[in-house]
Amino acid sequence: MQGASSGIGYGLKYQARCISDVKADTDHTSFLAATLSLKEENEVHLIRLSSSGTELFCEGLFSHPNEIWDLVSCPFDQRIFSTVYSNGESFGAAIWQIPELYGELNSPQLERITFLDTHAGKIKCVLWWPSGRHDKLISIDEENLYLWSLDVSKKTAQVQSHDSAGMMHKLYGGAWDPHDTNSVAATCESYVQFWDIRTMKKTSSIECSHVRSVDYNPKQKHILVTAEHESGIHIWDLRKPKFPIQELPGHTHWTWTVKCNPEYDGLILSAGTDSAVNLWLASSSHDELNESQTDSPTRRVDPLLKTYSDYEDSIYGLTWSSREPWIFASLSYDGRVVVESVKPFISKK
Amino acid sequence: MATHEMPLDDKAKRMRELLSSFYSPDPSNSPNSSNTSSKYTSIDDINSISFDPDQYMNILAHKSNLEGLLQKHVQMAAEIKNLDTDLQMLVYENYNKFICATDTIKRMKSNILGMEGNMENLLEKIMSVQSRSDNVNTSLFDKREHIEKLHRTCNLLRKIQFIYDLPDRLVKCIKSEAYADAVRFYTGAMPVFKAYGDSSFQDCKRASEEAIAVIIKNLQEKVFSDSESMQVRAESAVQLKQLNFPVDNLKAKLLEKLEHSLKDVQLIPEEIGNASPSNHEAAICEFVEAIRAFRVIFPDSEEQLVKLARDLVTKHFVITEEYVKTRISGADLLGVLRVIWNDVLLMDKVSGEAALYDHSLEAAKVVIKLYITSTFSYLLQDISDSLLKVVKRDGVEKYSLGVSLDACTKAILQGGKNFLVDVHKILDDNSGILDKLRELIIDWVQEGFQEFLRQLEDPFLLLSGRNSSSSTQNHGFPEEAQDDKALAGLVLVLAQLSSFIEKIAIPKITEESAMSFSGDSVIGYEYGPAFIPREISWKFRSAGEKFLQQYISMKTQRVSLLLKKRFTTPNWVKHKEPREVHMFVDLFLQELEVIGNEVRQILPQGIQKHRRAASTGSTASSISNSLREEKMGRSNTQKARSQLLETHLAKLFKQKVEIFTKVEHTQGSVVTTIVKLCLKSLQEFVRLQTFNRSGLQQLQLDIQFLRTPLREIVEDEAAMDFLLDEVIVAVAERCLDPIPLEPPILDKLIQAKLAKTREQNAISS
Repeated sequence: MQGASSGIGYGLKYQARCISDVKADTDHTSFLAATLSLKEENEVHLIRLSSSGTELFCEGLFSHPNEIWDLVSCPFDQRIFSTVYSNGESFGAAIWQIPELYGELNSPQLERITFLDTHAGKIKCVLWWPSGRHDKLISIDEENLYLWSLDVSKKTAQVQSHDSAGMMHKLYGGAWDPHDTNSVAATCESYVQFWDIRTMKKTSSIECSHVRSVDYNPKQKHILVTAEHESGIHIWDLRKPKFPIQELPGHTHWTWTVKCNPEYDGLILSAGTDSAVNLWLASSSHDELNESQTDSPTRRVDPLLKTYSDYEDSIYGLTWSSREPWIFASLSYDGRVVVESVKPFISKK
Repeated sequence: MATHEMPLDDKAKRMRELLSSFYSPDPSNSPNSSNTSSKYTSIDDINSISFDPDQYMNILAHKSNLEGLLQKHVQMAAEIKNLDTDLQMLVYENYNKFICATDTIKRMKSNILGMEGNMENLLEKIMSVQSRSDNVNTSLFDKREHIEKLHRTCNLLRKIQFIYDLPDRLVKCIKSEAYADAVRFYTGAMPVFKAYGDSSFQDCKRASEEAIAVIIKNLQEKVFSDSESMQVRAESAVQLKQLNFPVDNLKAKLLEKLEHSLKDVQLIPEEIGNASPSNHEAAICEFVEAIRAFRVIFPDSEEQLVKLARDLVTKHFVITEEYVKTRISGADLLGVLRVIWNDVLLMDKVSGEAALYDHSLEAAKVVIKLYITSTFSYLLQDISDSLLKVVKRDGVEKYSLGVSLDACTKAILQGGKNFLVDVHKILDDNSGILDKLRELIIDWVQEGFQEFLRQLEDPFLLLSGRNSSSSTQNHGFPEEAQDDKALAGLVLVLAQLSSFIEKIAIPKITEESAMSFSGDSVIGYEYGPAFIPREISWKFRSAGEKFLQQYISMKTQRVSLLLKKRFTTPNWVKHKEPREVHMFVDLFLQELEVIGNEVRQILPQGIQKHRRAASTGSTASSISNSLREEKMGRSNTQKARSQLLETHLAKLFKQKVEIFTKVEHTQGSVVTTIVKLCLKSLQEFVRLQTFNRSGLQQLQLDIQFLRTPLREIVEDEAAMDFLLDEVIVAVAERCLDPIPLEPPILDKLIQAKLAKTREQNAISS
């Protein structure tokens, strides 16, 4: 499975955990990557893939006051993004705007639109409204789920409603359902829980332990993919929450994150602490697959399409490009961004 | 005359010729014949017709001398004399005859004269005779008719008499048990009864019917009675039939009885082995006897009998099937089959239909197939039972893992072997029924093995799968939570078992089955379609790998949980100075010890790695200490950046340590993999936290302490060292104030910890 390194590399100065596709940039394939350094001055890199697709270059380099644990680009404005940061002792979240660039690259200051700072607990991640211009944001910290209303022009953000996850559960991360924008999934130690943001109440939950990452299938309703520490990747049909409809073996060590392709149904990327990115193909017709799995195990084809293992350290950051959905960017802990194309596997399909 | 004629041939011939010429009506005949003869006669032949005496004289005078002539003269004179006498005699005879003829004619003339009158006399007399006889005839005619009539009446009367006598006669017959006669009488009288039974012979008919009823009853009894001889019973049945008795009913009844008696012919397979089979044999003999009788009695009942026999065989086989479902050995089965086969043969002889034979063959097929499958399923059961024991007993007994593995492997090998022996026994037995099935059986056995091994994987998966899909305990495990540990052991056992099956059991089975069936003429069975060892062994290899993987992941999960608790609960930024090695290290090591124990029981040792004998804990730690010191010393000066660079560089130049290598079925490999995965998890957990100086120092201490015991356990020291270093580096990276502990303090704390554990060990032991 050890493929030749076909990827295009880009190095961040420090260690890094998060990378985000700049969805709103329709002209270029761009990514935002942020560093994680306790002691040095942290940076946010705006990386752009050259039009030929053979080179990555730095479009902008901005310093950020704290180490960044999470970064999400705003889906409707390419200059806006959210970060979750830590100063070592406490965590915080903020919405930033990239200043207008006039060709200079030398670390201009980011404009902070607003803090999302009513948090009592350790904030984990910020979720943007899945698509289009909308003022709603969700932030998830260890204990609570907040729904924010963001006003970019006034540079304010207000908590609209919130709900606590309950005493025993520590929330870890989440995802916003692109099919049903009232539904948000959040992961905690032994469950994936669902909230209806209109009432801000828990609606249902799936029982699965140690969920690291959760992602909705953007092409198919009710399909949710989770990555677990130990037991790999599970694909769920929310209508049948008792058992996963498919299990993928995941990684040799922890499966850290999992991402569904925004365009090609069934293509799933996962990144793990075994320094590898795996490309999976889940069967698009899940019902049929379920049957065939139980009936004839011989018919099961290896869902693993490819392992990208040209990394030196654990990979925490992973994103598909929404502009060119056959391209994904991965970020390993040592600060290396690698952009790869999965085109051969798509054409094969 | 003939004897007389021979010497006088010439003479007689000439005489006859002469006579015939004399009497001949056709004169041309004689000259013709003389002509023909004259052709051969020379001139000097006196006898020829063309004889010329002058010429003859001339020739004679010319040719002969005097003496000759004289001689001839004498000869001729004698001849002439002879001829004269002959002639004289002939004339005399002729004359004589003529006289006789004349006499006869004279007599005839005188006799014929009185004949006419006599003739007329005769005619007259004949005429009178005829008229007399006519007279007699006419006078007797009337009387004769009368006599005839009387005779007929007499016959009728006799018949009537017979009918009137019938009841008595029948009673007499009943008394003397001459039923055959009775039946004959009655059937003789039947037409009469039919015609006049309602009028004149009412009483008689009733009486005889009564008698006949008795007879029928008696006959029936006879038919039913077993004590009577077959012949008698058959006759009785025939007689009943003659009496228009509904024999079918009787037959049905008898059949019923037969069927009823069949219930005694129970096959009790359990008893065949030990008790006397004679019981059954006797019953069967009886049954066969009965069938034979029945056939004699009711020749048209073949079908039912066959059905009956068939039912019996079917019943036998059904019982056998039941029996086979319980645990039996091949010998037992063989015994049962043999008994059944004997029965079948016996019955076959009687019923004479091949259908029974075929039928039993079919049934035997089913039974044997069932036997094979059930044997395999019991084998399966055995194995999964002994596997389940692991789960149940582990809490009590510590060393049952190895025991159960032993049990399982033994079960597979021994079971397989025994089964083959059994099958062989069955095959060797040439009791006919099995002979035909031989190839089929072999086929089935092969298939059975295939299926068995294939199925063997299912309970494995089921047993092990219980954990991952924490759904329901459909297996009847009472304590779920407590099980967890045992389950891991089970998975390990399964892993080893799978690899055992792949490596040892399958080749052995292949070999043995090949050996057992080698005598068979069917070529290439061992690699034939029935048993495909390659597919199975591939399956088990992958299963073994999977189980091993599962075991590892179960174990690492446990450690991971431990680590997670350790790292997420305290506030690392406000950590206090380290005082002693943290408890989690002990727990971790304990866990590893448990793993080591389990693994040692189950897995093979593998290739012993060459260990550095001289490496004692303290020296090693001091070496690494110095290294660490160097590294940390520089980072002391807040040059975290350069330190990072350094580690990166170090990484670049260090040979890239393969952390995630393939797991092998050895103790070392498994333990090493688990340790590696745990350390990697440790690193990852560290990376999620931010530490203060004390936190760093605490972890430094913990890791340092871990180093020595881990080195003892792990095969791949380099990887382990690398990973431990990585953890330290990760902590340092995530530390706000990365100043490590002074080595002396570190050493002191470790020594204190070691002393403490020694103390504890002393107390506990």
